[in-house]
Amino acid sequence: MHTAPRGLSRRNALKLAGAAGLAGIVTAYPGRRTFAASGPPLELPVERTRITIDGETSNAIAIGGSIPAPTLRWREGEEVIVHVTNRLDEPTSIHWHGLLIQGVMDGAPGFNGYQPIMPGQTYTYCFKLRQAGTYWYHSHSASQEQEGMYGAIVIEPADRDPVRADRDYVVLLSDHTPEAPEAVLRKLKVSEGYYNNGKRTLVDFFRDAGRDGLGSAMRDRLDWGKMRMDATDLADVTGYRFLVNGKGSRDNWTALYKPGERIRLRIINGSAMTIFDVRIPGLSMTVVAADGQNVVPVKVDEFRFGVGETYDVIVMPTEDKPFTFFAEPIDRTGFARATIATRQGMEGEIPERRPRAVLTMADMGMTHGMDHDPMAGMDHDPMAGMDHGSMQGMDHSSMPGMNHGSMPGMNQNSMQGMDHSSMAGMDHGNMPGMEHGSTASQNQAVGWADAGTPPDAKALSYADLKSFRAREPRAPTHEIEIQLTGMMSRYIWTLNGEKFDEGAPIRVAYGDRIRIKFVNTTMMAHPMHLHGMFVELENGQTDRMPKKHVVLVPPGQVTSVQLTADEPGEWPFHCHLLYHMASGMMTRFIVEPRTASL
Amino acid sequence: MRLYNRTLSTVAALMTGTTLIAAPAAAFAAPGEAGHKHDTAAIGEPAKATAKTRTIQITMGDNYYEPNAVQVKAGETVRFLITNKGEFLHEFNIGTAAMHAAHQKEMATMMEHGMLTPTGINKGMAGMDHSRMPGMEGVSMKHDDPNSALIEPGKIKDLTWKFTKNTTLEFACNIPGHYESGMVGKVDVQR
Repeated sequence: MHTAPRGLSRRNALKLAGAAGLAGIVTAYPGRRTFAASGPPLELPVERTRITIDGETSNAIAIGGSIPAPTLRWREGEEVIVHVTNRLDEPTSIHWHGLLIQGVMDGAPGFNGYQPIMPGQTYTYCFKLRQAGTYWYHSHSASQEQEGMYGAIVIEPADRDPVRADRDYVVLLSDHTPEAPEAVLRKLKVSEGYYNNGKRTLVDFFRDAGRDGLGSAMRDRLDWGKMRMDATDLADVTGYRFLVNGKGSRDNWTALYKPGERIRLRIINGSAMTIFDVRIPGLSMTVVAADGQNVVPVKVDEFRFGVGETYDVIVMPTEDKPFTFFAEPIDRTGFARATIATRQGMEGEIPERRPRAVLTMADMGMTHGMDHDPMAGMDHDPMAGMDHGSMQGMDHSSMPGMNHGSMPGMNQNSMQGMDHSSMAGMDHGNMPGMEHGSTASQNQAVGWADAGTPPDAKALSYADLKSFRAREPRAPTHEIEIQLTGMMSRYIWTLNGEKFDEGAPIRVAYGDRIRIKFVNTTMMAHPMHLHGMFVELENGQTDRMPKKHVVLVPPGQVTSVQLTADEPGEWPFHCHLLYHMASGMMTRFIVEPRTASL
Repeated sequence: MRLYNRTLSTVAALMTGTTLIAAPAAAFAAPGEAGHKHDTAAIGEPAKATAKTRTIQITMGDNYYEPNAVQVKAGETVRFLITNKGEFLHEFNIGTAAMHAAHQKEMATMMEHGMLTPTGINKGMAGMDHSRMPGMEGVSMKHDDPNSALIEPGKIKDLTWKFTKNTTLEFACNIPGHYESGMVGKVDVQR
């Protein structure tokens, strides 16, 4: 009695998808209730194609004839056979992101004995589905993922789904560039800030100086200079169009509903490089799964979305009107947009764009103990006459050595009860301990974590994620620290300072319980992805640590996870930002069988 | 919390006692009392089971009811025997969709303040009068609405209800996120 209505709703969804002309949403085995390996294999050719986004056509690569690739709707416990035929003139591969799978079927060339699929060849994937939930698949070769090789996987649970919805939609986000990905990487290597249109200039510097005082501006500039990075480097590739299910914002992908229905959105970040802030103004989202794994439902207004992550959310619009699904990249260079509507052609309002955050030294985890030698003996005289009016409540303790005596004419009395609304654009970078509170959200976002969330809205935090099923916590027996490292100026991204296959792989014994500590020494967030196994995020939970396949590690922060090494093999462990991985931010995570002598 | 504080305080001010926590509950506490918009008769009233009372068994899981639809007759008294076979704390609450929406906010507050946990009731706190706590003025966190039963994992409770007229009702779990996940059933009240 449970499965019948679900099947029906899926067929309805399919019909609607057909009506909407959605090439990307195809059900592999529609309506089938029982599965066996003897079923017909799924044929997925990989071929060059053209994609038209908001009226502009460019080159792309399709899996199974569409971008995104067909949504694979499978059932837990089923054995599937997939034939992938390479019709490109270069090697390719398909990786099943998030699936617990035998190593050779995982689809990462150079790992677990898996070889790339050469032009003209067909590779037969065969695996049993050991889990349920929302996952995705994509190329693990060159930059093909950037060119359109990505699609969704939806696995129905073998037993009852803890979530019941009237409608079920995949919402696959991606970033598209008409440029050839190789050209993107080449440009990144030539000039660190090539794509950083918000790059700070000399003009910015003098503006900062006028605003914050030359000392502060100089110090900030020196810090960034020493790290060979720009303070606005939230994302390093721009010029993207942001897509929902392969559609541009003007194409306006639309999900239909009837008022009062429960809609399950399976939101996947299939971008090459883009971390999004996602919201649906007017609707709260109840997060029911993260990275395919059920979580204790939590109601939020928005969430930050790392590359490779997935969130399943329930929305319940009761009014008959369009709602805008809105995903802004954290560098705010555009947006992905879709509409949740009661009929085709409806358009919701495009919400006000959020401010771009200015990174601070705190995002480097370097606020304290930095060597500020170049500032010694600095003359603060230019600060005379500076208006410190709006600085009430600020903590100046982190500005040792500053000689405020040389600030004639400054009226400290006027610092009481001032209106902070005029603080727009102020860079608080060097002022930790200051309560950024709501002032930061109004006009200027300060620091990586500031998504510009309004004070009355709830943004999902990793701490909110609680595994739906409790597990007996088992203490890790040892800890592995992984430094996330990089040199932006030469576009080299590394783990522990070493490029892929130059450093030693990580080795653990089968069955070991370990803690992995990610220490992000860079100023960018890195979505760290381990193949083959879920990690359990240390987020304050004990028996309900959420299982994740991607963990977004904020700049300058330390994030730790635990895992039980119960999948033998040689697994890729990498940053899921495509060009970071391509430039070396990857290692081998080897789970070795225990030998008799141990 | 922040949004509905005022609502809760207003409700409390309207009520003579503070043991009932919200608008829907107020309807049962003071039937016919002036100044309250909820119509008691709309959803029915608590009743006592007799030998002749029909019993409907409901099983709770995470996060669902089995069955998730029941048929009753207007004027009929039904005894619901509810078993929680899940790992989480669940509620069986009879009301309209609007009443459930209001109650969900209160449940979220109770969860936020630790009176309820995902798996149980914090007995040390649940009976306390929190009405003088900052931010909770006028809100007692006693969960004792007559149209609702909170059932901990592994427990069985019964709730007897007289359905008065034919209207659209739902039985629902208002623990945060459960209603959204689909833990709601239809009560079809027929003439």
